[in-house]
Amino acid sequence: MAARDRFGAYADPGLTPLQRAIRNACDLSHYEPNLALNLEVADLINSKKGNAPREAAIEIVHLINSRNQNVALLALALLDICVKNCGYPFHLQISTKEFLNELVRRFPERPAIRPSRVQHRILESIEEWRQTICQTSRYREDLGHIRDMHRLLLYKGYVFPEIRHEDAAVLNPSDNLRSAEEMEEEEREAQSAKLQELIRRGTPADLQEANRLMKVMAGYDNRHKTDYRAKAAEEVAKVQQKAKILEEMLQSHQPGDRVAEGDVFEELASALQSAHPKIQKMCEEESDDPEAVQKLLEINDSIHRTIERYKLVKKGDWEAASQIPKGTLGTTTGVSKNANNELSLIDFDPEPAPNANGNGAVAPTGGNSLENDLLGLSIDEPAPAHGGILLGTAPTTSATPPMPQASTSFRPNYDIFSSMNTSQSPSQSSTPAPGGRPQSIISSPATATPSPALDPFASLVSAGSRQASPLPSGKASNSQPPAGSLLDLMGSEPAPPANSQTKAREEDEWNFASSLPESNALPSMNRVQVLNSTLRIEFMARRHPQQTQQIHLVALFSNGSNQPLSELHFQVAVEKSYILQLRPQSGRDIAPSQANGVQQEMLVDRVPMGKGNAIKMRFRVSYRVGSERKEEQGMVPSLGIA
Amino acid sequence: MGGSVSKIMGKIFGTKEMRILMLGLDAAGKTTILYKLKLTNQDVTTIPTVGFNVESVTYKNVKFNVWDVGGQDKIRPLWRHYYSGTQGLIFVVDSSDTARMEEARSELHKIINDREMKDALLLVFANKQDVQGRMYLPFLPSESRANQLSSADMSPEDVTQALQLNKLKDKLWYVAPSVATEGTGIFEGLAWLSNNVKTQPQK
Repeated sequence: MAARDRFGAYADPGLTPLQRAIRNACDLSHYEPNLALNLEVADLINSKKGNAPREAAIEIVHLINSRNQNVALLALALLDICVKNCGYPFHLQISTKEFLNELVRRFPERPAIRPSRVQHRILESIEEWRQTICQTSRYREDLGHIRDMHRLLLYKGYVFPEIRHEDAAVLNPSDNLRSAEEMEEEEREAQSAKLQELIRRGTPADLQEANRLMKVMAGYDNRHKTDYRAKAAEEVAKVQQKAKILEEMLQSHQPGDRVAEGDVFEELASALQSAHPKIQKMCEEESDDPEAVQKLLEINDSIHRTIERYKLVKKGDWEAASQIPKGTLGTTTGVSKNANNELSLIDFDPEPAPNANGNGAVAPTGGNSLENDLLGLSIDEPAPAHGGILLGTAPTTSATPPMPQASTSFRPNYDIFSSMNTSQSPSQSSTPAPGGRPQSIISSPATATPSPALDPFASLVSAGSRQASPLPSGKASNSQPPAGSLLDLMGSEPAPPANSQTKAREEDEWNFASSLPESNALPSMNRVQVLNSTLRIEFMARRHPQQTQQIHLVALFSNGSNQPLSELHFQVAVEKSYILQLRPQSGRDIAPSQANGVQQEMLVDRVPMGKGNAIKMRFRVSYRVGSERKEEQGMVPSLGIA
Repeated sequence: MGGSVSKIMGKIFGTKEMRILMLGLDAAGKTTILYKLKLTNQDVTTIPTVGFNVESVTYKNVKFNVWDVGGQDKIRPLWRHYYSGTQGLIFVVDSSDTARMEEARSELHKIINDREMKDALLLVFANKQDVQGRMYLPFLPSESRANQLSSADMSPEDVTQALQLNKLKDKLWYVAPSVATEGTGIFEGLAWLSNNVKTQPQK
């Protein structure tokens, strides 16, 4: 009985289809590795999953130790194919102690003067794995035994052959664009393989780890869950970066220069081209988020233009190439003054929007700073007398904190910009903090609906239909002839941005004109309302006089309900070019109606002077009011500082 | 090497080892059965299993390594990772939960149709035989009427019907009535497993 079991493996009926396929691929009748058969084995492993990688690894190493050198070499070739095509589940198997010990079983204690071909090939494989998957795999900490084996062999005096990096490069993770779903799928597969392996090993430590992993996989433990959408966005940003580089290179490319084969051009273009369908696929996946789709489509278009231009340039058709609207997202080259460049306002944009967006003389930055300047001016001006009257009504009428909107009509791009910054939440408040008065406006509890107090001003408006919109009515109260024309422009705007008429009222057209020449003089401190619902969040942004690259932010959390607020969890993200540091939240609970009950300090680094207003930040916050769990997210409005 | 020596010893002295996988819908009583097997005379209180438990129980010279994996629907997709090497499947059903019997059937058939489970013995525990029925079944077989297990919604025969075990070909199966909280019937189930396991597990 025992004998039959031991030799049973050689009897054909006892073999699984996988084992049979491996035997077949390593059959002596082949003089050299049969790629088709080898790939068939790899496919079989990939389709069966589960125990298949292990089964295959054991079978292959068994053949590697075969007495027949040719069979061993065929098995090593098959091993190579499997390592390169079966991914992490197989990597996990070749990094088990069992497998590695078996792999070097026939190595003598002291290295021979000249290693046999089989030994040479094994050493080569181990060296290759050490230099690739042990360093670049996302799960390299699971592959530690390969390094240990490498070290052991080195210690025993074995010399590893040099490997060609190009050959091994395929083992490195590809930098192709991957969508959120694909990344999630990959992670799931890796977790599956790991769980299987842990259960198989069955030592107490492994079982503990398996239990933990199960909780993660079943979705009970979300602490370590990666946000794949954010990752996908990052990946898209990378592609965009490539598009940008290519675009810049094409622009500096002079007629007559040849685009050489195998040039950087080629590489970038092919990377972009391969990303193209991926972005389209992502659009489909994100179909429930129109904002994201919109952005993806814009990126897609710009990449497409860049590729087209590249193709034409390559053909030498300069005429046609220059006809394609120039500029890709975020280019800083001279093309930025182009209508096509309003795309640069999207989220993923690594460059601050205003640069690429330059719209003739008045750049949005200038405009913003301008109106901030104006704001400061209007406070110091006699105007407050006028504004002071309005202020009385402000607490009840202001729909949102003050937002400088008066200059909108001068900056056609601005409406895009402001609609990018969440449309539902109050977008911007560039009220300088030092002013005591604006503070009171911000802290005014009244929100949402314009109260009847508005009526007196509304009655001033000739066009009664605009009564509901606080902005035009506020404007109209100024009743200056130029304001009339402004009003028309604004009325035709597709998205009336949320703002307050207080600001609009304060802003006199005279002030406006007088400040135009000044620019880039945003205050170094500002207070912005980020969220205004049950939970109110405000950001105090400040520039350190010494730290020129740093912006210091304090988030203040207030409870607007009369129930206690608990389990507050606040998250912020910035674009990758900046560095965000968070200090711990001062707490997680806010008493009913408590103002500024919790605060959190943040540092945003690498923000050059003058770009403070262009930082784009996103936030997400979850909390519990009473027994209700809430989660909100959105864009942080422009900080309104230099 | 040491392993093979002990295997030979095992053959001589008749100790066997069996890898058992215990599955079933949530709240069927898997964890209670596991710990009732392990801690025979103690009361067992359990919470829903998120993950798995594993214990080894020696009964009649057979060492059973019993893996009890959580049955909540989120965990069910992970069951397949436990299939490999399993010699016996214990499928636990809550006999009073007639509403989910169909769900139990489909899960069971999914498991035993897997390639890796094709050689495993199937033991079904018709558990919670003591729970008062919500549905009146007029034809309870006389022998289950005879013992105190008769008040349940579904007798082992009903469970057999509901799980469509008669359809199974090439499968050794057995349905055992049980009351896990009292430990009734569970060792009888193990006895059936040990009597029917093939002498040597397939490598």
